[in-house]
Amino acid sequence: MTIPTLDTDISLVDKGRVLLELRNVNKSFGSHKVLRDINLSIHKGEVVCIIGPSGSGKSTLLRCINFIAPPDSGEVVFEDRSWKTFHAKFNIFANKRYENTLPNLRSDIGMVFQHFNVFPHMTAIENVMLGMTKVRKIDKKVAREDARKRLEQVGLGDKIDQYPEKLSGGQKQRVAIARALALNPKVMLFDEVTSSLDPELVSGILDEMRRLAKAGMTMIVVTHEMNFAFQVANRIAFMDEGKIIEIGTPEEIKNSTEVRTKAFLSSILA
Amino acid sequence: MGTYNFNWHVVQDNLPQLMHGLVITLQISAVGMFLAILFGLFLATMRLSQYKAMSSISYGVTQVSRSIPLFVLLFWVYYGLSLKFGIKFSEFQAGAVALGITGGAYMAEILRGGIMAVDPGQQEAALAIGLTRFKASQLVVLPQAIKIVIPQAVNVYVGLLKGATIVSVIGVADMIYVAQYVSLQTFRPFELYSFAGIVFISLTLSIAGFAWLLEKKLSHGRVNG
Repeated sequence: MTIPTLDTDISLVDKGRVLLELRNVNKSFGSHKVLRDINLSIHKGEVVCIIGPSGSGKSTLLRCINFIAPPDSGEVVFEDRSWKTFHAKFNIFANKRYENTLPNLRSDIGMVFQHFNVFPHMTAIENVMLGMTKVRKIDKKVAREDARKRLEQVGLGDKIDQYPEKLSGGQKQRVAIARALALNPKVMLFDEVTSSLDPELVSGILDEMRRLAKAGMTMIVVTHEMNFAFQVANRIAFMDEGKIIEIGTPEEIKNSTEVRTKAFLSSILA
Repeated sequence: MGTYNFNWHVVQDNLPQLMHGLVITLQISAVGMFLAILFGLFLATMRLSQYKAMSSISYGVTQVSRSIPLFVLLFWVYYGLSLKFGIKFSEFQAGAVALGITGGAYMAEILRGGIMAVDPGQQEAALAIGLTRFKASQLVVLPQAIKIVIPQAVNVYVGLLKGATIVSVIGVADMIYVAQYVSLQTFRPFELYSFAGIVFISLTLSIAGFAWLLEKKLSHGRVNG
């Protein structure tokens, strides 16, 4: 088993400060239990990669963090504020009030998806500006200027007025990354962001993520890219059947004695 | 060949009144369509609610509204409401409301289909950047649903336009009403109704053409971007 050398910069991790914490998070779809009692703390500046077989609940875990898929039970603590699922069966107005507090959490958490989910009816720059003007209430002119810079940073300076249909998969994903970063999030969630890209476009997106990690962004990355995970992550979590089986530094995971972790790694790195 | 001789002068002579009737027809169908979109959006939102009761109520209302003949609906709205509940509508208002209810039931189903056809990832992405559910619908989901919905919505409008000819029974002076009125004086119903028919055909065709242009113009990335 060959695993590339580490180039993780430990100095960026603020060990003293837990930014995000999941406590006893459970989630089921119908009778299928997808997450079982998940506990996880993320420090400021830390990059945590989540690996594991398909269907192990990695994506659902990520989506529970910003309540895109609200947990059934348990809590998400973000910057010392606790978020729990609130769901009154009959009081629709109470549910609405609760629902309307969630944007406070979500706007500080950037998310990038496997299928990009860029808005097809808006140009690249409009995609990036939407959250700035409608969530952060930034003036349109200022937002436009900032959005242009964001797109230049991800190498799309000449595509700002293009509609997504004219962009390649890699370019769409860059727009999606710029859109998430435009809100100055405190943590970024990446949900298998290279899985639906053509192979030659994967490394470009991974480079963007490396750059972000180097800049000190707190990141939670669900990925099948083992090289990336072992090079960039401060910690790697291995999930199987809705549980975090094991979490540790790349070194620890690499030398794991846990049967399932070993089996998964050897099947992937064989 | 029959012995009937067409005399189109009757149309020419009464053109101003007929055109005035046409304007009423267009107005009432436009207001009716506006109400239909509002009512349909309301029903569709309810239908897609996570609350089973809301969804069922919406389903029931949609089915019932759709099955009432427009003719009966007109009588209920115009006479029924005023006799039973003292709610008095003008003929025009009653006509527009009746059209709105019938059209709304169709629009509800169409809008529901359109909203469901938008990739769920779109709403997720909109929520993830911190938009409220309402803003996510308004800015991200609905604009995409509308593109999917336009051709069918145009069909509903054409239906309402034709349905609007029935409002003459409660005394709205639309084009059919004028044609009827004039033909009673001139005994030339055939020319007058044929003229009305031709006007409707050309209206429908131009609306379809307009919708086609609109659809083309809005066709940015209908599939997942």
